[in-house]
Amino acid sequence: MQKNFNFPMSLIAVAALASCSTMPQNSLLTDAHHSYDMARNDPQVTTLAPVELREAGDSLLKADNAMSKDESEATVNQLAYIARQKVRIAQESAQRKAAEQEIAKAASQRDHDRLAARTAEADASKAQVVAIQQTADQQATALAVAGANSERDRARIAKQESQLKDLNAKKTQRGMVITLGDVLFHTNKSEVNPAGMHNVQKLADFLMQYPQERVLIEGYTDSTGGETLNQNLSERRAEVVRMTLVRMGVSGDRIETKGYGESYPIADNNTPVNRQLNRRVEIILSDENKRIAPR
Amino acid sequence: MAACTLFVAGCASIPAPTEQMTISRAAVTEASTAGSNEYAPSQLKTAMEKMGGAEQAMSEKNYEQARSLAEQAQVDAQLALATTRAAKAKKSADALHEDAHVLREEMNRNAK
Repeated sequence: MQKNFNFPMSLIAVAALASCSTMPQNSLLTDAHHSYDMARNDPQVTTLAPVELREAGDSLLKADNAMSKDESEATVNQLAYIARQKVRIAQESAQRKAAEQEIAKAASQRDHDRLAARTAEADASKAQVVAIQQTADQQATALAVAGANSERDRARIAKQESQLKDLNAKKTQRGMVITLGDVLFHTNKSEVNPAGMHNVQKLADFLMQYPQERVLIEGYTDSTGGETLNQNLSERRAEVVRMTLVRMGVSGDRIETKGYGESYPIADNNTPVNRQLNRRVEIILSDENKRIAPR
Repeated sequence: MAACTLFVAGCASIPAPTEQMTISRAAVTEASTAGSNEYAPSQLKTAMEKMGGAEQAMSEKNYEQARSLAEQAQVDAQLALATTRAAKAKKSADALHEDAHVLREEMNRNAK
């Protein structure tokens, strides 16, 4: 064999040439050892690519054996080259497995995140459903309350109507008018007789029950006697009813009085019965705006 | 390749490394089909060149050189394959990380 250093050549080619000389040390084998030691001290390689690392170690051992048995440089170089490439394979394998572990971890993390995202979405929509349900419940409650209120209102109105009917209240253009007539007063007297008291008591009860109602008490007489007298009498009669109501507990400022004398008769004054009809007190209830239409 | 011819002359009476040739060809093909031309192009190129040299040596009945180059081509191709697989795995891992990042950002946006 001859030495020839003039060829432009690869490391392997150099090694092949070097085999023709007698060099005590093999640089390729030294390199292979160096890289093998690096790999062996890399925990990623030892844990993730132990099989590949052992194969590299076996190859390196073969190269060492060839070296110690003084085999040709070419053989040692060949084995050293293979050993070094196997170290690299072990390193690449370790990196691949590390990446694969990362993939597994990232995939499970992603699944976890997706689950969390879906859970969050589900929670959000659940909260939305709960909110909607609550709104619906509130509306239902409000409706129920409104229903109960209107039910109560209806009941109250029905009760009031029945009470007004009991008081012989009549619907007129001026509103509800209660006539305390017939047997309330004797001729030329302004005291309420016992039968009339009963009617006034019923009116007082009604007014106590509906404190928002205001009343106008109008007194009327028959045509017996002079006009001035009758005017005064009608005023007194209205006032007597007011006083009686106040005595029964109705607040006086809810009550107005007015006397009309013998005006506005509801019957002609020819007979005692008709005259009794004209001797009357009319009580006009305020409308919902607390107003009373004047005559 | 020219350098290899130097020590071929001295080593003539060796059996043809047919089996090694087959193994090496398979290794190079595997690396090539696995996408090494994209992920480990220089390593694949080295393996293919050595494999070509081995084929050449075989045709010249230079069996020692053929075995030597074929062995090297095999281990080079194996390294190319390992490098390719590692690169692919890293790429997938990066893509997953990116996915996870995007998903988390999405979640954070939704949470706000």
